[in-house]
Amino acid sequence: MTAAISVAGLTRRYRDQVALDDVSVELEAGSITGLLGRNGAGKTTLLRILAGQEFPSAGSVRVLGQPPAENEPVLRRMVFVREDQAYPDIKVGHALRAASWFHPNWDAGLAGQLIADFGLGPKKSIKRLSRGMRSALGITIGLAARAEVTLFDEPYAGLDAVARQIFYDRLLAEYAERPRTILLSTHLIDEAAALFERVVVIDQGRVVLEAAADGLRGVATTVSGPVLAVQDFTAGRPIWNQRRLGSQASVVTVGQLDEASRARARSLGLDLVPLTLQQLVVHAAGWPAAPEADSEGVSA
Amino acid sequence: MSTWLKVARYHLVQPIPYVLVAWWILAFSFAVNIAVYALVPNTGPVAATGSVPDGHYTGALASIFLYFLVLGVNSIGRWLPFGLALGVSRRSYYAGTALLAVLLAAGDGLMLAVLQVIERATNGWGVQMGFFRVPYLLNGPWYLTWLSSFVGMTLLFVYGMWYGIVFRRWGLIGTIAFIAAQVTVGLAATLLVSWAHGWTSVGHFFTGLTAVGLTGLLAVLALALLAGGQVTIRRATI
Repeated sequence: MTAAISVAGLTRRYRDQVALDDVSVELEAGSITGLLGRNGAGKTTLLRILAGQEFPSAGSVRVLGQPPAENEPVLRRMVFVREDQAYPDIKVGHALRAASWFHPNWDAGLAGQLIADFGLGPKKSIKRLSRGMRSALGITIGLAARAEVTLFDEPYAGLDAVARQIFYDRLLAEYAERPRTILLSTHLIDEAAALFERVVVIDQGRVVLEAAADGLRGVATTVSGPVLAVQDFTAGRPIWNQRRLGSQASVVTVGQLDEASRARARSLGLDLVPLTLQQLVVHAAGWPAAPEADSEGVSA
Repeated sequence: MSTWLKVARYHLVQPIPYVLVAWWILAFSFAVNIAVYALVPNTGPVAATGSVPDGHYTGALASIFLYFLVLGVNSIGRWLPFGLALGVSRRSYYAGTALLAVLLAAGDGLMLAVLQVIERATNGWGVQMGFFRVPYLLNGPWYLTWLSSFVGMTLLFVYGMWYGIVFRRWGLIGTIAFIAAQVTVGLAATLLVSWAHGWTSVGHFFTGLTAVGLTGLLAVLALALLAGGQVTIRRATI
């Protein structure tokens, strides 16, 4: 598989801060990747640079094999849906019509169905839409464009749970029917976790974790039970975080547990709960501050 | 070229602001003026048929030209971010929007020329009013009126675009600096002429300048502004 998105040594400096610091990422064509991280981590800047809306200070960016900035043949094959997209003073139907002129694979039927699903009237003026309805418009454009590279930045800010489910279902159905490269940034990590084949976590402008989503399942486990039993079980294992409450302790250990270890935990009366993707991201983003050696263990 | 046309069409997806609003403003202003001229008796010297008595030029035609400046600013504003989001390059966006300016100016300029012909034929709409005639500037044959208003409208639209782009890139402070820079250039030119004792020749140049010559000068200025905006938009981010 060739890389649909390839970024090497990408740095973006603003006057008093570094938004992206030596970022290198490769995304295969035909994959769904989650771009995760805290507010201000650099997710939007990365996506804007990929979409040619912002320029890098240093490093190389290739989308579909070419630098995207001012490169119309490449830009035309991608779509970028932004949380804070500014729209002219036009109606929903106008925005969809304009989008249909510029996206060669535009599917008008799908666009019509999506706005019906979201309850978005084509005659509504965009500036009067609520935040959630604006997000619905962005999602409609992003999916109906059927672009080879589809970038979503917090696409469902303000959307209710039902509308988010519509988005997940449609995204997967569309992806199954016409595979494309999707990069999606989100804060609702656990909700979207099932979509991702890969995750990229950035924190303070740096990539702190890049891995296949499958590989992350069970990469860290919370072990809880009586203090002595927990100490006995986790001795010698890398530890991220530990808590004690009276005679009970709860420790996060890093590394896959084999069957023997699990059996032993059972015999010690310990509870084993794998960390969710969201918890992993929180740890990868350095919270709570983890011992040096252990955080290394996960980025590897 | 086809992308340029698509960009022009993108702006016209909602045609009212670009195509109709200027004429609504002008129609209202025309109605007000004609009511005033019909009410106020003409006590001045009676002019020959087909010409306008002194003081009977309304000057209200300036509104449509100023509206082109507003359109130019607006054509960047929130249209640029969505345009780029649709996968248009800055280059094509700029060229396509400038193409729209040229098309609109050609169409509206032709309208003005036609209305001027009607105004002449009806002796100033029956009230000796000079609404579509402007002394010296727009007072020649219809094709010169067309040409001059075309150039003037394009110039103002392109100038407005440049303001829109400067605001996009450098914000309010940058826009103020942009205006200050233009004032400084004007001041420097004035000082240079004064030091060189050149005001006599400058005066001769302008008194000798015909409306056609002025139109030519404005066309050159429009091209310079077009180039300035093109350079500025290249690194604009959204």
